[in-house]
Amino acid sequence: MLRSQTSRLDKDTRKRTSSGRRPPPEKVAITVRLDRARVRQLQAAADAENRTLTNYVETALIRDLSLRDEASRVITMHAAPGTSASIFAGDIVRADGESDAAHARRQALLIELWSIPDSD
Amino acid sequence: MVPGAFVRVMFPTREKPRQPGLLHIGYVLGGTPTEVMVAYTTSRPWPAATPLPAGARLFDREEAAALNQSRAFMLRLDVLAKLPITEAWFPDIAQPGQGVIAVTPARLRDELTGLATNLARRRRDLIQMRGTRRPAPIENGTS
Repeated sequence: MLRSQTSRLDKDTRKRTSSGRRPPPEKVAITVRLDRARVRQLQAAADAENRTLTNYVETALIRDLSLRDEASRVITMHAAPGTSASIFAGDIVRADGESDAAHARRQALLIELWSIPDSD
Repeated sequence: MVPGAFVRVMFPTREKPRQPGLLHIGYVLGGTPTEVMVAYTTSRPWPAATPLPAGARLFDREEAAALNQSRAFMLRLDVLAKLPITEAWFPDIAQPGQGVIAVTPARLRDELTGLATNLARRRRDLIQMRGTRRPAPIENGTS
């Protein structure tokens, strides 16, 4: 390892241990050109949430990225602690008046969904 | 719990996925007498410029009203929770109506089963194309 890399790592470690937590990621300044009217709207929305304009815009962008990320995943599964990893077709409750064919389709679906591991 | 019901549920949040989360209306895809698979719903408008998730089914005001809901909403068949049928997750489970807002007619229930089945198939195809998330176990004697 190069000396400069070693000293940088040492410095990072010292920073982390002295404050007890990892330093926040480095931020990069960007310039965004917006209509005056849009800026006024954003400023008003930021004021209403007691945020700075920069923080409001950053939060809005993070939300948007998070939605895009979520949209790209096919199925997100939350499994509560203690729930089973699989189920038997015979245990699946039939809906009122459900035909055999419709019940069979739903059984197949639930058996597959049940096997999807927790996403987190 | 009735398959095809919209029910009041403490749907887990992304931040605390293993605890009862915020009170929402969820859609019961089905389950056993002790556990159910619930899909998330929200009445928050989806941002116009963001593509809709593949598992989204929109219900306009008219359709929502037919299901005893006052606002248009989006059902997310791609955001699911596997939950035990307990009061912690279903706060009205001990009440006479068990927190059920409405039960979908058979036609709609079949449509939603079909949509979820297509989504599960798509997920399976992607896994087959890209490989599973977990590495296969290494057998003894192989390098």
